[in-house]
Amino acid sequence: MSILNEMSEALQKGKKKEVEELVTKAVGEGFTPKQILEEGLLAGMNIIGTRFKANEVYVPEVLVAARAMNAGIALLKPLLVSSGVQPLGTIILGTVEGDLHDIGKNLVKIMMEGKGINVVDLGVDVPADRFIEAAKEHDAKIICASSLLTTTMMKMKEIVDKARAENLSVKIMVGGAPVNEEFAKSIGADMYKDDAASAADYAVTCFQ
Amino acid sequence: MREPCFDNLLKVLRKQVPDRPTLFEFALNDNLVEILAGERFTHGSHEDQPEIFIKAFKKAGFDYASLRGSAFRLDWGEQGAKHSKSLNEKSLIYDTASFEKYTWANPEDYDYSRLERARQFLPDGMKLIVIGPGGVLENVIELTGFDNLCYMLADEPELVEAIFNNVGERLVKYYEICASFDTVGALVSNDDWGFNTGTMLSPADMRKYVFPWHKKIVEVIHKAGKPAILHSCGNLKEVMDDIIYDMGYDAKHSFEDKIFPVEKAYDELAGKIAVLGGIDMDFVARGTPEEIKKRCMAMLEKGMEKGGYALGTGNSVPDFIPVQNFLAIISCAGVDIKL
Ligand code: B12
Repeated sequence: MSILNEMSEALQKGKKKEVEELVTKAVGEGFTPKQILEEGLLAGMNIIGTRFKANEVYVPEVLVAARAMNAGIALLKPLLVSSGVQPLGTIILGTVEGDLHDIGKNLVKIMMEGKGINVVDLGVDVPADRFIEAAKEHDAKIICASSLLTTTMMKMKEIVDKARAENLSVKIMVGGAPVNEEFAKSIGADMYKDDAASAADYAVTCFQ
Repeated sequence: MREPCFDNLLKVLRKQVPDRPTLFEFALNDNLVEILAGERFTHGSHEDQPEIFIKAFKKAGFDYASLRGSAFRLDWGEQGAKHSKSLNEKSLIYDTASFEKYTWANPEDYDYSRLERARQFLPDGMKLIVIGPGGVLENVIELTGFDNLCYMLADEPELVEAIFNNVGERLVKYYEICASFDTVGALVSNDDWGFNTGTMLSPADMRKYVFPWHKKIVEVIHKAGKPAILHSCGNLKEVMDDIIYDMGYDAKHSFEDKIFPVEKAYDELAGKIAVLGGIDMDFVARGTPEEIKKRCMAMLEKGMEKGGYALGTGNSVPDFIPVQNFLAIISCAGVDIKL
């Protein structure tokens, strides 16, 4: 098995130390940082995403794999920067105002990063204005808003309205327990996705 | 006003057809309880005033009033006090040292006399339903934080097992104590296990760490000759058979349209386990009273045919449910009140 395959497998099993060792080894063997990132780390995370969608792995396995991925990326970071490797693009992510649930939002972040996307995470209880400001500041292609309650999902409409009022060329994707496609359409959002892995798949298509 | 009759609910919990349409809620918000009772809670510990819950539930046509058996609760630290909070905030237990330092509250040390005191307020035929201070998985998540729990599952499974054991045995004891009161007619074991697309932990880990304790909880409730109701949110498709056949719960509560609409759930589960409530929260929060009545009437009709169904919301009646919409639900069971 090639070292990058080995890295992908170790990542899928959440073996952080092994992933770190393999990244160091791969760098020593002359693989480019881009190759290590894409064919080792992100390839492994991609498989985890697909398996999560199919309910073959669950949230804990995803979190542990993401921990291994992040450890690998931390080692690679200086090399990625110096060799000019760019993320696919940037998205803004947050849980809407009045809502403090963040497990789902964090999974969206993990899956996005697993696709090589730069995520600006605004955290929880984020007012609509902050989504808009951040989208402008970071020249983001997508705003991703998470909400878990009927009372807070109404805040998503505010984000859409404000983005439209300012003529921002940004797509708005929504998700979370009570949200569905019909609701997303009714507030004029561009996309609804059921799970974090599908959200990341859609984001990739926006950057192509 | 219709008189409460716990035997109706008992029939539902035994998967039979009740004598009249029956209502079930896991919890009503305190404001609604006060409005229904026509009386305010007079001191801080609301649950120490069972008379107010009893008045409120009776007025709304329920055959029982639900409340916690005592003030027993594990210490969740600062974050537990917040109304809405992240599952990832500062945790009290994150390694062996913090586990050993943690002081466990014991259910035996608490006062359950409210369950006895309630007797003087309970009308003939009405009983109490006891709910829990959070469930096995919920308490562990509150103590460890969700992310931490996931990392510990990978790094220190023995520690995870020890935490589950400490939580589990205390909850079993709590239910055993509560079930021994003859004012108590049934008990709700409330533990959210799922989200939109699956269970919070893998079914394998649910079976290893969480379910054995639920099996014990059901056992102590059944030993007292009472039905055990599971309130658990999220997508539980993969573990439904465990709930019915392994843990042996008598009834399942909490349904969401996006996951398993109650009409479909009832078609699949009727005869295997009683189905309680289920009218989707988002629908009840945003629908009109007319829309709500239409759906509730249709569901009740279905439920009165095969039995094992009581009408109510998919989760509870929090303060964001318009009172008119709650009244629309209970009116379908023949309870017409003006507030
Ligand atoms: C755990 C939980 C709780 C815990 C929260 C603990 C805590 N410390 O945070 C407790 C017990 C405290 C709780 C309380 C309440 N809850 Co609650 N809770 C849940 C539960 C079971 C799981 C939520 C969760 O953590 N999911 C885990 C993550 C992984 O899932 P997720 O967030 O859905 O994210 C996934 C996808 O949705 C998607 N996603 C998420 N965000 C985004 C964003 C984008 C852009 C995209 C594309 C995708 C995406 O990706 C993720 C992974 O694939 C849900 C049930 C459910 N169906 O989700 C109810 C649920 C959210 N709760 C509900 C209710 C009613 C309440 C209460 C009001 C109950 C009460 N009477 O008090 C309170 C409100 C508290 C508050 N003010 O916040 C209702 C909400 C209904 C509604 N329509 O409003 C639900 C849906 C349950 C139900 N039966 O209806 N709850």
